[in-house]
Amino acid sequence: MTVTRRNLLRWGAAAAGAVTASGLLAGCGGAERRPVPPLSPGQDPWRRFAGTTINFISENTAPTAAIAANLQPFTELTGITVRIVNLELSALVQRVALDMASGTSQYQVIYADPYQVLAPYSAGLADLREFIEDPSYPVLEGGLEDFIPTQLRAAGSFEQEGPVYALPYDCPTMIWQYRADLFAAHGARMADDLGFDPTPGPDRTWDEYRRIAAWFTDNVDEVRYGTGHQAKQHDSLMCDFSNVLWSYGGDYFDAGEQVGLLGVRDPGRCTLDSAEAIEAARFYDELLAVAHPASRTWDWDGVGAALRAGEIAMCPNWHEFAASNEEAFPGAMGYAPLPSGPTGSANMYGGCGIGITANASGAERGAAWLFVNWATSRGTQLDNLRSSAGGGTPTRGSVYELPEVVRAEQRPSELPNMLAGPAVRAAWEPDRIGLRPKIPMWNACDTAVFTGLSQMIAGQQDPETTMRGTARRVDQIVARGWHA
Amino acid sequence: MTAAEPTARAGRRRGLTFPGLLLTPGVALLAVLSVLPFLALVAMSLSRVRLLGGVRLEWVGLDNWVRVLTDVDMWWSWVRTGAYLVLTLGIEMVLGLAVALALHRVLRGRGILLSLVLLPMFVAPVIVGLLGRYLTDSTFGLYAWFLQQLGWEGDVLGSPGTAFAAVVLMDVWEWTPLITLIALAGLTSVNPSLLEAAALDGAGYWAGLRHVVLPSISGILLVALLIRAMDAVRYYDIISVTTNGGPADATKTIPIRLFENAFRFFDLGYAAAIGLMMLLLTIAIARAFVRLLGTRGIS
Repeated sequence: MTVTRRNLLRWGAAAAGAVTASGLLAGCGGAERRPVPPLSPGQDPWRRFAGTTINFISENTAPTAAIAANLQPFTELTGITVRIVNLELSALVQRVALDMASGTSQYQVIYADPYQVLAPYSAGLADLREFIEDPSYPVLEGGLEDFIPTQLRAAGSFEQEGPVYALPYDCPTMIWQYRADLFAAHGARMADDLGFDPTPGPDRTWDEYRRIAAWFTDNVDEVRYGTGHQAKQHDSLMCDFSNVLWSYGGDYFDAGEQVGLLGVRDPGRCTLDSAEAIEAARFYDELLAVAHPASRTWDWDGVGAALRAGEIAMCPNWHEFAASNEEAFPGAMGYAPLPSGPTGSANMYGGCGIGITANASGAERGAAWLFVNWATSRGTQLDNLRSSAGGGTPTRGSVYELPEVVRAEQRPSELPNMLAGPAVRAAWEPDRIGLRPKIPMWNACDTAVFTGLSQMIAGQQDPETTMRGTARRVDQIVARGWHA
Repeated sequence: MTAAEPTARAGRRRGLTFPGLLLTPGVALLAVLSVLPFLALVAMSLSRVRLLGGVRLEWVGLDNWVRVLTDVDMWWSWVRTGAYLVLTLGIEMVLGLAVALALHRVLRGRGILLSLVLLPMFVAPVIVGLLGRYLTDSTFGLYAWFLQQLGWEGDVLGSPGTAFAAVVLMDVWEWTPLITLIALAGLTSVNPSLLEAAALDGAGYWAGLRHVVLPSISGILLVALLIRAMDAVRYYDIISVTTNGGPADATKTIPIRLFENAFRFFDLGYAAAIGLMMLLLTIAIARAFVRLLGTRGIS
């Protein structure tokens, strides 16, 4: 192209346009923060922000379904209106990131998934000690100590002890869910054929789990396959595989426990290419070979539906499915910690907290805290357990000690999610709880992991190639760093 | 040069002509809706985009472009997008034309038949995806049940080959009617005397179709191909709802990868570079078709 005056002018105009456009982009965000109105003398601290409306953005989870169905007590207590936006997790992450970028705080209360919201956007969340330590707000009943300690650190902290970005709100954990009626009916014959006691529990090994699954497939007419898995090319595949990975002694990074519990920005080198991780992948590939073929299309909802539809006899899944399992097969479902590998049993924790956007200001900021305080309180967690609209299990230790809750762990149970209580409490023991890496770039690493695994179980690559390739990709992603 | 010419040129320099004034609102709107976002996209593709505390662009030069052009996975996504484009377009053109030819021969009840044929086109692509997902679900899907009765034990969306075929067929189900509609419009414009003359010369149905009908409607078929090609490059909805790129990346086309980078990883600079590559491809396809139309004297 010849350089003429006209061409120069065109390029100049385009460059000026690009600068203008990027200037307009940069103009997005940065609203000024208003101070929180002070508490008037003699005023009820719960009524301090009466008349305010706030928005709570949440993943479409069981606790939020229960709270949405029973918001009236909060409105009566505080005079605050709460609008709840329920979304699938990836849609929620998009909205939260864009809301933080805009600076307008359209959503004051945020469902802060530790891996997809808290780690990448902790700088966009308020440190809740601002409210907890301020005597002008209602006291946090039971204090932070009442929350299950591991969950408080996993769901509420990032990088360092001290700042609390979210209070534990739900605590789904992967456990072994099985048709106890089928084990009762066929257990003796299975034991004879297999040569071991098949009763589910952490004493079983993953290899025994695989053999039990194959036995069900070959010998039982009530179900089509013995086991099903959430092995869709999705976050769920990483969750399902991680249980096996950890139980075989593998991990994502060297300081795995620290990376999972508090979280770090730079986790170091990926260790998915270790001998233990490769062995775990090899076993997982074998396990999926005997599983229901549709496992490759199921996420947690899919495998849960298959169990309730009588397609499979057992599966690893989140314990909060217990109530809906009980509806499908009353009295026939059993729960146990996941089987063990060479180094023990590992049970993926998937709990999340709720926090407040740092951009929230004025009465909305205070009102958001009142909601967070109420939504995680003992009374609300108990109401959630009783709710017919859903309801997860509590994140406060004191709720598990209530006589009504303890009774509900046995049938007949008025709080059916508590039927999984003993299994899930065993799964939360420090040597059994599984915590995935809490790093800002986890979304990209997660995608690299589940994409590699999906290629492996589709037969496109062997376990060793998969693990080595995935480790290399994760290292590249981590090396690029995170720039929120 | 006459004395009046400098005056007219000076007038043009001073302000807009009347047609120019009339065009100004439209051009301004176009700038706001297209030109500025496009330029912002270019700026983003040369930057690292930070979100917290307000959007900020940090200049990184050609880093994002180097990554896009050297990423092997990205090139595989282009291959999948190409295969998707060729398969959907090929099947839709053949089926659409066949249905149009059949409908063209129907004399009674053509209106009702045409309405039935066109129905899939009016369903939102997301609904088509959901429908496809439920019909092929191993637990309760009707199509899965039929396949099980035939002795097939696999899962349609669970294997790379069948999943890719399934999303292609869902697209074909939805958009073949559009080709049928366009082809039918073309068929009604074929001069009957030409067909009669060909018949008198001894040409049978296939010879008439090959030497008279197809050449007569080739221009309109090219337009249909252009519309569908540009759509297929950007296709997102059905794949997102059914497989979201899996299994084993078998259905991860460029739009799915673009969305993933933009709204899952928030790597907006990199996503902007992918978006611009898609735009370039779409423009290249459009220009190729327009040129083809031009050589046939249709433009």
